[in-house]
Amino acid sequence: MSAIQEALAGDPVLSQHFADFRAKAEGALDAGLVALIRQAVASVHGIDAVPVDDSALDEGTRVCLAYARRIPFEHTAITNAEAAAVVAHLGEPGFVAFSVVTALADAECRAALVGLPELAGA
Amino acid sequence: MSTIPRVSSAIPGEPAHFGSVLAHQPEIAQSFFALYGRFWGSDVLAARIKEVARMRNARVTECGFCRNVRFDKAVAQGLGEEVLDDITDGYETSDKLTDTEKAVLKFTDALIYDPALLNGEARAALQRHLTPAQIAELGLGVSLFLALAKALITMGLEPEVMDRTVLPTPAVLEAAE
Repeated sequence: MSAIQEALAGDPVLSQHFADFRAKAEGALDAGLVALIRQAVASVHGIDAVPVDDSALDEGTRVCLAYARRIPFEHTAITNAEAAAVVAHLGEPGFVAFSVVTALADAECRAALVGLPELAGA
Repeated sequence: MSTIPRVSSAIPGEPAHFGSVLAHQPEIAQSFFALYGRFWGSDVLAARIKEVARMRNARVTECGFCRNVRFDKAVAQGLGEEVLDDITDGYETSDKLTDTEKAVLKFTDALIYDPALLNGEARAALQRHLTPAQIAELGLGVSLFLALAKALITMGLEPEVMDRTVLPTPAVLEAAE
């Protein structure tokens, strides 16, 4: 369970809406890619996650993960060429879902790092 | 940072903007707007407080679209430009922001920038001014503001120029409840 979902335990309606949004975004991508994105982003944040070993991955997945790793601290520096490479691999609908999933993964890591669940009494 | 859309509009005849680009993924769009409407429609945390956090995020993440939008519910709760002008570095000394708003801004900075900013004193102030339920809602909001801003920026949906625009506050979608 993510830090945000944990924090929302006292508001079942809002919690359900958040869970649905997260599930819809993740469901639009391959489950394996979603797991790798979350692992890569968590690793950038120094959260307990084993770094992804890119060597066994295909070129398209490596491009996506390189992009995802820039979201936490370098989102304004991502170039048109980097974005185009992800679009070429995932297509436009895939790129939209990827953008949402990656940005949400970053935000969820940050919510965990500030201890949101504890602050929310969860 | 690009102001050239990196993904096309999925709605014929419309330019690329958040809604028309998200339309590539209708289920995600529907779910997001239901969540965002529910969040803004809840009065557990006042719209004015949510807007203070949203504006701070807009300025730190450099989201030009977010920076120029104002939600009417917060404006009606007295959040005018003279207050918003103080949501910049050094807000701690503002005489226009309340102590609650300053505690919220510190939490926002910690979540979107550096978790170390939420030190013992800042954490205690947040818990003194907000209930756990309000903090949960604030945490969701700041997380969504951050993710939305980063998605907008990285999809190249930042406006080249944009006037300050007051929009209706997102509302609960009855069909989604």
